[in-house]
Amino acid sequence: MSFTQPKENKILEEALVRQFQGGDLEAYDKIAEIYQKKIYGLSFNLTRNQMDAQDVTQEVLLTLFRKIHTFQGKSAFSSWVYRITLNASYMKLRSKKKEPNVSIDELMPSYNGAGFQQEKIQDWSENTESLLFTNETRDVINKAIELLPEKEKVVFLLRDVEGLSTEKAGEILDLTVPAVKSRLHRARLFLRKKLSSYFEEFSSRKVEE
Amino acid sequence: MICCKECLDLLYDYIEGSLDQETTDSLEEHFQECPPCISFMKTYKSTTTICRDTLNQVDVPDAVREALLKVLKENKEHPGEN
Repeated sequence: MSFTQPKENKILEEALVRQFQGGDLEAYDKIAEIYQKKIYGLSFNLTRNQMDAQDVTQEVLLTLFRKIHTFQGKSAFSSWVYRITLNASYMKLRSKKKEPNVSIDELMPSYNGAGFQQEKIQDWSENTESLLFTNETRDVINKAIELLPEKEKVVFLLRDVEGLSTEKAGEILDLTVPAVKSRLHRARLFLRKKLSSYFEEFSSRKVEE
Repeated sequence: MICCKECLDLLYDYIEGSLDQETTDSLEEHFQECPPCISFMKTYKSTTTICRDTLNQVDVPDAVREALLKVLKENKEHPGEN
């Protein structure tokens, strides 16, 4: 099931939540099955650590079990699950020594006084196919995501990786739609810049060969 | 005509398809005159795609899945002990 839930899935899920709130443990198993991969994926992408992602997933699934009676259905059930997942992941991150983030502003595009591009822009968008699943490319992408400041990273993960709508990401993070858009745009610009160095270098390597 | 900086500010909404026709037209007019901005737009779009494809490969390892099942089963039998 994807995050952009088709209507039937949403109805099925709401029914499962109601059944579980009424004491049906099989409904809980189904909810845990539906959400396990999503919780693990999001927490792994935030913490970049398998043990942490496992701990977070366990904690979130147990919280769902214990706190289901506190879920009142004011927002979507999935939003509630994501919020719990994000909080648990942040707890893990805070307990660790933090590497200083790179300043995102330094990597924003620069323009001359008249508002025109100052840097040379190469189009590497056609060259990514053959590189996409190599270990080297994966490492470069993971490293770039890791360097994103937390505020931008979480928006990027919810919106572009998990495929949630801007409105839903805003609901989960308690941000306005313009704030979600602005952080997402900055995240994409930062990542584009980071990936450009790699793909441009790869293109020049190819020319030399 | 709009400049590159304005083009960048409009990029997000352009890709979402949420710009009005007039703004879309002036942006596309800019693209015709400015190949670097076309490259920028294409690589901006590619960034999302390749990051999504890479990060979505995360799967729950079998060992983790089994460990979770065990904990959830114990929790159901003896709630509150984990």
